[in-house]
Amino acid sequence: MDAGIIAIGAALAVGLAAIATATAQARIGAAGVGAMAEKPELLGSVILLVAIPETMVILGFAVAAMILLLEG
Amino acid sequence: MNIEMTPLEIIGLKANLRATVQVLQRLGCTQIDELDTSLGARRLVIDSETLRIQEELKSLIAVVDGLLETLGNYTATPISPSVEMRADYSAGSDRPLGASDSQPIDCIAETRARVAELTPKVQALISNRDELQAELDALPRYEATLRKILPIVPPSAHEPGNVCVGVLVSRAHTDVLDHVGKQLLELTSGRSEVTVSDVDGATRAMLLVFPAEFTAEIETLLGREDVSRLRLPTELGQGPPDAALAALRRRLAVIPEEIQVLDHRLAELAGENCDQLYVCRAVLRDELEAMEVLAFLGETDMTFVLTGWVPTRDVEQVSSSIKERVGETVLVRCLPMTKEMENKAPIVLQNPPPAQSFESLVRLLSLPRYGDLDPTRLMTVFMPIFFGMMLGDVGYGVLLLVLALGLMRKFRAGIIRDILVVLALGAGWSIVFGFLFGEAFGTLGESLGLHPLWFERASPAHVSALLLMTLGVGAAHIALGLLLGVWEAIKHKSRSHLLERGGMLLGLVALFVMVGALGDFLPKEFMNPAIALLILGVVLLGASFGWVGILIGPVEFIGLIGNVLSYLRIAAIGLASVYLAEVANDMAGSVGSLIVGIIVAILIHALNLAMGAFSPTIHSLRLHYVEFFRKFHQGGGRPYEPFKSELGTGANR
Repeated sequence: MDAGIIAIGAALAVGLAAIATATAQARIGAAGVGAMAEKPELLGSVILLVAIPETMVILGFAVAAMILLLEG
Repeated sequence: MNIEMTPLEIIGLKANLRATVQVLQRLGCTQIDELDTSLGARRLVIDSETLRIQEELKSLIAVVDGLLETLGNYTATPISPSVEMRADYSAGSDRPLGASDSQPIDCIAETRARVAELTPKVQALISNRDELQAELDALPRYEATLRKILPIVPPSAHEPGNVCVGVLVSRAHTDVLDHVGKQLLELTSGRSEVTVSDVDGATRAMLLVFPAEFTAEIETLLGREDVSRLRLPTELGQGPPDAALAALRRRLAVIPEEIQVLDHRLAELAGENCDQLYVCRAVLRDELEAMEVLAFLGETDMTFVLTGWVPTRDVEQVSSSIKERVGETVLVRCLPMTKEMENKAPIVLQNPPPAQSFESLVRLLSLPRYGDLDPTRLMTVFMPIFFGMMLGDVGYGVLLLVLALGLMRKFRAGIIRDILVVLALGAGWSIVFGFLFGEAFGTLGESLGLHPLWFERASPAHVSALLLMTLGVGAAHIALGLLLGVWEAIKHKSRSHLLERGGMLLGLVALFVMVGALGDFLPKEFMNPAIALLILGVVLLGASFGWVGILIGPVEFIGLIGNVLSYLRIAAIGLASVYLAEVANDMAGSVGSLIVGIIVAILIHALNLAMGAFSPTIHSLRLHYVEFFRKFHQGGGRPYEPFKSELGTGANR
């Protein structure tokens, strides 16, 4: 039971963070592509902006790893 | 690193303007800047004749572009004008002053004559070809319908004086056919014949055969009943369906031959004219660019003024070429490089061969400013290492390396070559880390006798070690970035950057000393000094933002911790790759059949390999762009875009 709850906790930590990251990147990516259609030289900046929200899922992964390592 | 540049000023008599511009264009090493009005010169006024010629050049170039695009489809080999042909046109610009002034007019007239002769021929051939192709595409549709009607053609259709008309109706409205049939018999007093057949599941056809004298009335009847008539192309004649079908088949056999004749003629025209057109276009483009560059120049009553940039190694060549070809009445002066000039200087990155492939990745973000640190070589070292850490598999590494090296033989230059070099280097490091982690196609290496030289990252017992390793790598990478940032701040005498980056560096070091003391890796006595250093670091960081730094400083420091944690993606992506490979191996074993198992394993490994090539590249790039470069790389550099001839330059490189 405990192992199951720990696993669910870890899964929620990374899963919800991934959903948040995906939502953010979807909007940023769509806006970035629209900007690049007019100014292709913005490619580097767009890659940067799309990459920034990934920190959320990495932190989620870190929390999930901590849950599994410390409690699992 | 970037090439040393020298700001130049060229002043000469207006009569020498065209010759000077020609010399600079042929040398191809001068970037011409917009006039600095503080020099006392006004903007060069371009006369209406020059503007007229510019417009004519643009329209002529557009027409030549169109011809080359059209004829280019009919050449077997790429268009490649001979060196002699290029040299002939290039030599034209070496003509003495008086003659060279007439060159643009000669070139325009010659191109205009060639285009006037060629365009009608090409248009006629293309138009004929398009018509034949359209006919070839349309005729098979009629063939299908005619074949279905063929069985119901009555013998009376072949009698002279009779007309045969086909009518198509939806099967939902077949009562219309009965009505039309009765009307026809009444109109022709029984001297007609009607046959009916199904064309397909939705359509019914009716053949009406009647004497030609009743054609007008029948057409009116059909129009009144609003039935669609089977209309055939005029080339198939007005005869019965079987005759039309025979004519159609003859046309279908003949049309491809006619198209081939036209293609052959177009290929001949392409062979005779493309090289010449290509060179004409290059000459016209050179002329147009030479005129457009005049907008950047300045003038006084008697002189023109030109400012720009030249690589320092080429200054002597520019100066001597102008003196030799134009004369002593044009002065080339090197300007002193001030701080303001440095901000405007264009950048030419100069790196040894392996690092040259990474220049395009640096350019993707932003070129460094003149005099700033070029991050290309740093990226060359670290990006493949991060790639290797993430993929970390001997099997995948070998496959990627073989693939990259194989494709590099085909792609000798360009962005694809650069990406292949990055992949090849990354694959090399993947093999290294594959041996360290003991992985070959995931856990398959273990069954082949491969044991980790360092630790097995897929093992639950070593996950903490993996996470700590990636955090350590991240901290070291960011600390290096901050050190470089501090050095840049000292070089540029920027107090705010020095405080910001110095504060971050102190805080990061202090944080890790604290973690070390807490984890018993360092003596407990280090804790208090570490806390003091951390506070100092955050205060310095906050001080760089002024009074609002009280709030921003701690927030920025937390952001720095987030940057370090971002390197955990190295572990995350690596583990994802290992576990997917493990799934591939386990599924292959559980299927039951050896061959099916191998196929399943190959498919999943192939997917993992594709992701393993793409994902580590993107994430390594992201770590550099976001976490590493932002600690020292300002960006904002201007690319070096010299004014040069499309035909070729006279500069020795």
